[in-house]
Parts: sequence; structure tokens; C-alpha cells
Amino acid sequence: METSDKKPSLAAAPEARFTVSPMTLATDRWMGRLIRFGGVGVVLAVFGMLAFLIFQVFPLFTGAKVEPVGSLSVPAGAVAFGEDEYGDLPYVVLADGKVIFQRAKDGSKVLEWAPALAARRVTAVRSYPRSGLVFLGLSDGAVQELRVVYRSTFDAAGKRTVEPVVTALEPLQVGKPGLPCVEVWNAKGAQARLILVRQEEAGRPLLTAVRLTERKGLGGKAKVTVSAPFVVAADAASVDKVLLPSTAESLIVIGKSGEVRTYADDGATFSFLQAFTPFKESGDPAVASAGMIFGNVSVVFVSRTGEQQVWSMYPQLQPDGKSLRRWGKIHDGEALAGAGEGVYAAEGNKCYLAVAGGKLQIRNMTTGSLRWEGDAPSGSIRQLAFAGNYDRFTALSADGKLHRWSIVDHHPESSWGAFFGKIWYEGATGPAYTWQSSAGSDEFEAKYSLVPLFYGTVKGPFYALLFALPIALTAAIYVSQFLRPEYRQVVKPVMEIMASLPSVVLGFLAGLWLAPLVDPRLISLFCAVGILAPAALFAGFLWSVLPQPVRRQVKPGMEFLWLLPFLALCAFFAWKSGPAVEAAFFTVKDSASGLPIADFREWWRQTTGATYDSRNSLVVGFVMGFAVIPIVFTIAEDALSNVPNSLVSGSLALGASRWQTVWSVVVPTAISGIVSGVMIGFGRAIGETMIVVMATGNTAVMESNPFSGMRTLSANIAVELPEAASGHTHYRALFLGACCLFLLTFVINTLAEVLRQRLRERYKVV
Amino acid sequence: MSQIMNPPSSSRIKVRPAAEREGRKDYISIRDFGFWYGEKKALDAISLDIPERQVVAFIGPSGCGKSTLLRNLNRMNDLVDGIRHEGDITINGRSIYDPGLEVISLRRRVGMVFQKSNPFPKSIFENVVYALRVVGVRDRAVLEEACETSLRKAALWDEVKDRLNDSALGLSGGQMQRLCIARAIANRPEILLMDEPCSALDPIATGKIEELIHELKEQFTIVIVTHSMQQAARVSDRTAFFYLGKQIEYDTTEKIFMNPSQAQTEAYISGRFG
Ligand SMILES: Nc1ncnc2c1ncn2[C@@H]1O[C@H](COP(=O)(O)OP(=O)(O)OP(=O)(O)O)[C@@H](O)[C@H]1O
Ligand SMILES: [Mg+2]
Repeated sequence: METSDKKPSLAAAPEARFTVSPMTLATDRWMGRLIRFGGVGVVLAVFGMLAFLIFQVFPLFTGAKVEPVGSLSVPAGAVAFGEDEYGDLPYVVLADGKVIFQRAKDGSKVLEWAPALAARRVTAVRSYPRSGLVFLGLSDGAVQELRVVYRSTFDAAGKRTVEPVVTALEPLQVGKPGLPCVEVWNAKGAQARLILVRQEEAGRPLLTAVRLTERKGLGGKAKVTVSAPFVVAADAASVDKVLLPSTAESLIVIGKSGEVRTYADDGATFSFLQAFTPFKESGDPAVASAGMIFGNVSVVFVSRTGEQQVWSMYPQLQPDGKSLRRWGKIHDGEALAGAGEGVYAAEGNKCYLAVAGGKLQIRNMTTGSLRWEGDAPSGSIRQLAFAGNYDRFTALSADGKLHRWSIVDHHPESSWGAFFGKIWYEGATGPAYTWQSSAGSDEFEAKYSLVPLFYGTVKGPFYALLFALPIALTAAIYVSQFLRPEYRQVVKPVMEIMASLPSVVLGFLAGLWLAPLVDPRLISLFCAVGILAPAALFAGFLWSVLPQPVRRQVKPGMEFLWLLPFLALCAFFAWKSGPAVEAAFFTVKDSASGLPIADFREWWRQTTGATYDSRNSLVVGFVMGFAVIPIVFTIAEDALSNVPNSLVSGSLALGASRWQTVWSVVVPTAISGIVSGVMIGFGRAIGETMIVVMATGNTAVMESNPFSGMRTLSANIAVELPEAASGHTHYRALFLGACCLFLLTFVINTLAEVLRQRLRERYKVV
Repeated sequence: MSQIMNPPSSSRIKVRPAAEREGRKDYISIRDFGFWYGEKKALDAISLDIPERQVVAFIGPSGCGKSTLLRNLNRMNDLVDGIRHEGDITINGRSIYDPGLEVISLRRRVGMVFQKSNPFPKSIFENVVYALRVVGVRDRAVLEEACETSLRKAALWDEVKDRLNDSALGLSGGQMQRLCIARAIANRPEILLMDEPCSALDPIATGKIEELIHELKEQFTIVIVTHSMQQAARVSDRTAFFYLGKQIEYDTTEKIFMNPSQAQTEAYISGRFG
């Protein structure tokens, strides 16, 4: 334009006025591209984020990868095996007690060791591969312990050579003298070691044990005291299998009839605890195979038809009202392909390998999920053992082969059921949705149910919106429709500043100031808040009965000037009357002193039986409400103010009151904007993290109780991500939570948008 | 002049002699009325009487204060900030500024059709019966009857009778304007204020509205603002001419158009005037 003014020559060529400069076109084109690039970029970024989340989460839902890594031919009579930490130099134990070490790489024999037993024979062998202990049961009831140690030496070139050493201990008389051992077990309790042997005496089973107590002497030399042999489980009619937990604190004897008898260590001997028959209801009650799961409180039983049951020790209510830890069934596993041939527990997690019907299956005991399935080797399996870090397992088959498999299974405890289903964890009294990602002990089983987090994610915003929506929406209506514009210009920016208040500040105020403040004066607060609505209505009524001349003194839109002090006064008196109300309605007997006390918290606990936390959902709702109010208010107020004035005038000109106009014209016209505001507020509340982290106890409970806390998905991520090891199940479970949060907000926003579009279609303004 | 008296569109309509029906001569009485928008004085010393059941037209160049005066009759100007007035307006002897008078009941008595049509984003039916709903009529039959009568009077019934539940926003501009007229008369106000009701209408619809005005004045008192001299001549009994917020001349339409006493009036109606 300027140039055309400056250049007089343009006037001579009139068509120049109509040509478009290339600069304008180029700018137009480039701006168009830039905007398209930006738009596509945003969409890609969102999808990229989702893809990243899915990428992080995906490994949780893949099973175990198990590969056979070769097999080693060993002497055909091998009955047990053991191996070093890396599996390079395994050994097998023959029925006569010979120990033969072979190199895994080429099968070459490294060492052959034979026991020196004179007249005695070896009648039973038990090898504990992970500890290098081998127990030989002898023909006279004695037990000889062998210790296998791998000694590494380095030559001059720094090359490592490993040399196995077998040390035989003096045989110990454990069983009844003169009777051969049939089986032998060893376990290390907290105080003493237990060696147990099984013998047959006149066709009846005989279980005898000794305790070995080791005391460190003055010179650091250990002194072992051996107790007198004692008979255990003498009441068992038949003994088919014996499970001895590695802690030696109990004993499980499975009879031929399928009856399981459990005994507990009572210090002196083992006393009878409980008897049950897992497959009582099935056609064949016999237990085909059984195995103790890592942690020593659960046992997997497999019947001859392949049925699986998991029994565990958990607190159970006894007829006399006491709660005692007893055995009970916690899971019915999926049926296996055939009769159980063996159950072998993994070390360090709750997985086990079940052999049945020519198949090997690795399953997780807790979730019941199948991690892997493969074919069993040709010969029947004599012994199978997992490596300590669950990265491989080895099996000795009857046809003289040592088979080895490698396992890649980073998330054995994860499954859809673990994240979203009700799971009966060991030690719990029933199936539940539990999130508990870490604890002090190693044997602790992490629990990753996202359901309580979902619950908290919805519960917090629910209370927040319950508090915020009425305030925000009525405030928006009041400010946009009734308040004088001068004040509106003040209120709006103030609200917008409130919206930008960091939520960590709000959370800080909520947790450290508000919660302790409100806690003892809860009823006062309820009274003060509860009185506001009736007081406002009453004020309105008073106003309407005042004569016109008085009312005309106050300009329209300035009524709040006398309403506010009135409300404040009402709230003040209500607050002051709180203790009286509490005394009148919420007096309970103090459990400690027996005196009646007026305490709402105690009343709540006693009448509802629910918990009362001082950092509860109401506090969160209240403070999160403060984060949400400005957002909802601002958007709703904008929508309401944007309703064309002509509609308002049109309605007023038809004789509608201001309220009728607002209710039947302004609000419906602005409804799509109001819905957006509410939804954005809801979205903010759902994603809100710091307030929840700071103002609740972050307990992942599922209670609708307004006086208990909660844990939301976002707070969960904020609290636990720093301590979650990258790539660990915990870490990925947090990402799964993020994924769910993403989907949740996506679904809510989509619904909101659809609703908004429909409302907009319905109430669009020309 | 003859052009104005005999518009080409309709020869049936002539200037009617004023005050042929009986009724209060000073039904609406405006006395020394002045009006300010903040510092700006929009009306100055207006005094005129509007007889009952007659049609009065306000004419004058744009910005002269016609709408302002009209909107004062049902106190729609109260919505504007910083307004002030002097003098008084009485309807049937009672001041509209009487503190004991509810402005809502005044507006129910004095209906209004706006210069720009403003249907609510609701169904056609709901638009028409809005005034009845706000007074608390719930009876569906009553509402339906009122809807039909009003739409018929506003010459819209035949066009919309099959889609009463459709959104009013789907109507054409002219239909919307007639809908607003139907809406304004649904609760049968005593006085109807019309601010250029035909500015968006084609000649046929305009004719219908003018017929409606003739019909309505049997029952209602009508004040109409118009920029069309022909229309003022056709429909009104009396005409007021304003210029720059002042009332220049107010008399029977016949007198104003045939024999105006002021030169400015003469100039304006003959089109020689900005
Ligand atoms: N809300 C308002 N605030 C301030 N001034 C206003 C307002 N409404 C109208 N005015 C002014 O008052 C004067 C009269 O306006 P009014 O709308 O009454 O004119 P009019 O005669 O109806 O014009 P038109 O024929 O163009 O509709 C104009 O100068 C206008 O600028
Ligand atoms: Mg106007």
C-alpha cells in the first residue's frame, strides 16, 4: 500500500492495483506450510508419546523366552546332579554315591569321587544343587554329608581354572540303626539345621530327624552339637512325599491317599498342625506331584488328572474367634496336560516348572499365568533345578542326560490379571486389588494392581469436582450475568492468577496447614460451609421482601456488598457453634477412658467402622477444588459472557426475570463452553499430582469413605518412579499406569468433545 | 407526495385518519423526556402522547434517537451502564419509573420486537411460547394454541407448522424476524414496540407484517420505528419525526405526510435530507 502511494508510476498502470505481489503469495504459502507442519507435529508428538509408553509397557505382556542350550551325556545311573554358579562344571551323583564332574562344554570328565564307606552302602541320595550339598543315606540309617566346592585358581597368564573339591563329612546316625535310608532331606532353619531321613520299618514309614546346632566357639571355630534323633510325623499312615521347606520350620507329609498332613516346628519336635485333602472332590484324590514355592508358605499340588491347586498359609478365623495362620486353598490353577510328574520351584520368584503329560510349563504361582510351555525331554525327569537368578534351569533325565535351558523372563510376576484383576497374594486372607511395589524383605512379592490407583484417580477428582463445580459455575454465572462490569474486570484476572498458582504450593498448604487445622474442627467447618447456601437463599428472600425504595438504594450488581458481610457473619456463628453440634450429635464413648467424648473422628470410626485419616479425600477435594475452580470458572465465565447480548435483551423484553433469562437462555446457549470448562477442570483434577502427593497419605486403598486417603495414578508415578529400577517390572508397571492415565484422559476428553459438539449443534447461535 | 401515498406494492393501503377508535388519548404519555448515555445526551425534551390502540411511527435519520426512545418505553435501556433520564413517561396514567412498579411486569405489558432478529437457540415452538413459559404457563394445550395463533398472526404458521420442533436458527432471516414478532405477541402485551421490524424482509413478508399491524391495533397500541416513509404512511395513525435527539414534529400521519408544518420534516420525507 505504502509503495503504491509513493510510486506515481503505478497510477499510470491501473492494473498494478490488482496484481498480487509475489511476496504476499509466498508469505501466504509459507505460513500455510508452517501451520500445517506445526499441526502435524503436535499430532505426531502425541502419538510418539503414546508409542513410547506402549514400547515401555509391551515387554510386560510377553511370556518367557526359553531355549534349550544343549544336553550332556552322563552315566546312566545318575540319580542327582548339581552345578556351579555358571553351569560350566556340573556333577552327577550315582546311586552308589559316586560323584562325577564333567565339563559342560565337551562332556569330558574332570573328576570322579567315590565315598569310602567300608561295609555300608548308599541307599538314598539327595543333592541340593544351589548350595553344593549332597546327602547320602546309608544302609544302616546313617547320613553322610558331602560338600562340593569349586576352587578357582589363576595361572601366570591370568587364566582361570576351576577345580572341584568334594569334602565328605563324618557320617551321622540319624535314622533307626540297622534300617536303610529310603530318602534323606536337609534344611537350614534359623537356629538349627535339620537332617531328616525316611526308613521303612515292617512296612510302616518311619521319619526320623536330628538337629545340628552350630555355635561359634571362642577362637571363631564352629562347634556343632547334634541332637538325639527324634521321630516326626509318627501319626502319618502312609508317606508318599515329604516336603521340607528350606527354613525347616514346618513339614508336609503327603500320604498315598492324597491326604496332606502338615506339622510345625515346636522347638523340640514337629507337632501336628492340620490335615487336608486337596483333591477330595475329584475322582482320584491322590497327589501326583507337589512342590514348595519360593517363600516356603505355598505349595502347588498336581493330581493324576493334571488338576492344579495352590495351598498357602494365611491367617484364618478359627471357631474360637482367634485368627491363626493355617493352610487353605488360594488358587485353582489351570489343568495340566496329564498327571503331574514334578513341580520345581524357581528361586527368587513365585514361578514353578510343572512336568505333566510330556510338557514342561513354567507358571507363575500367584497369577496363574503360563510363562512358557515346551516339550519335556525323552527320559523321565529325576531332578530339575533353576539357577538362582532365574536365567536357566537344568534337568537330569533317567536316560542319562543333563539337559539345560536358558530363560529370558524379565517380568515373571506380570500378567493382565496381575495389573487389572483380583489376586490372592500369599499371606492375604482373600483375593484383592493391591498395589504394594516394595517392602523390606527379599521374599516380598510386589503387587501391582492398578485398580486401586484407578479408583483413587477417580475418587480425588470426584470430591474435588463435588466441591468445585457448584462454586465455580455459580460464580461464573454470577460474575458474567449479575456483577457490575467494574468488579468483573477485577474478579476475572484475580481468578486467572489463581489458576496459575503452582499446585505444589496448594498441596503444601493442604498437607501441612489445612489438614491439621481442619482435623479437630471438622464439624465447625461443615457447619460454616453448610450454612452458606441456606444463608444466601435467606438473604435473597430478605432482599425480596424489602420495600422497593430500600432496594433501589443498591445499584443492580452491587448487592454483594451487603450479602458478603451477612454470609461471613453466618459462617462465623456456624463455625462457633461447631463444638455444640459435635457434642449434640457425635458423642461417643472413648475407648480408652470410657468417658463420653464429643469427637466426630471417633464417632465416624465407631459408627461406620471405616477409617479416619487426617489427610483424607475431603482435604484433597477441597484443595484440588481450589486448583480446579479458577479453570472451570474462567472458561465457563467466558462462555457465558459470550452469549450475545441480544439474546439477553430479547428474553428480558419478553418479561423474563434476570434469573429466568440466565437459566433458560444464557446457560443453554453457553452450555458447550460450560461443559468444556467442566471437562478441562476434570482433566486437570485427574492429572493433578502434587496436591495428591502432599495432601494424602498416598495409601492405595479402595474405599469410597471420604475420610480416607487415596493414591492416584499420577501421584503413584511421581512417588515411585525415582526409586524404580529402569526396565524392572515395577518401572514398567508405572509406565503402564501412565499409559492408562493417558487413555483415561483421552477417553474423557473425547467424550467431552463429542458431548460438546452435540450441545453446540443444538444450541448454536447465528 | 403522491408517490408516497400510493406505493407501487400495495394500493390498498392508504393513510388512515387518526383516532378513529375510541380510547385514552394519552395512553402513553411522554413528558419533557431527556436521556443521556453517560455524558452524551441522546434525547432532549421529548413530549408526546400516544393514544390507545393506535399505531405511531417514529421516523428520522439514523442516530437521531428513535430506538433510544422506543427502548425507554419498556425500560430496556436500564441494561445500559451510566444512563440517566429526566422527565417522565406514563402508561395509562402510571409512571414507568414508579418505584413500586416491577420492571418485569412492565415488560410483560410492553412487548418489543428488536431491530435485529434475535431468536433463542431453541426450537421454534419454545421460542414462541417463551413469554408464556416465563409467566408460568405449563398447560401444553394452552401453549400449543398460543403458538399457533401467534404464528398465524405473524404470517409464519404455514411455513413452519410442520417443523415446530426444529431449531429456530434454521429459519431464514425474514422468517426469524416474523418469529420474533410471533414471540413478542404470544403473551398478548398491551403495547407492542417494533424497531424496524421489516428491515430484513422482502416485500411480500413486509406486506404481511403490515397487515398484522393493522390487525393488532384492534387490540394493541403499537409504536413502530421505520426508515421507510411508505411504510410509515401505510401503517401508522400518527407519526413523530426526530432529528438529532429532538422531536421536530408529531402529528397525524396524514398531516405529517400531506402538510408538514416544519421545513425539516418536509425535507426529510421528500428525501432531500441526509
Ligand atoms: N448503548 C449506547 N451507548 C452509548 N450511546 C448510544 C447507545 N445506543 C445508542 N447510542 C447513541 O445514541 C444515539 C441514538 O441512537 P439510536 O440507536 O437511538 O439511533 P436510531 O435513531 O435508532 O438510529 P438507527 O436508525 O440507525 O437505528 C446515537 O448517537 C448512538 O450513537
Ligand atoms: Mg435504531
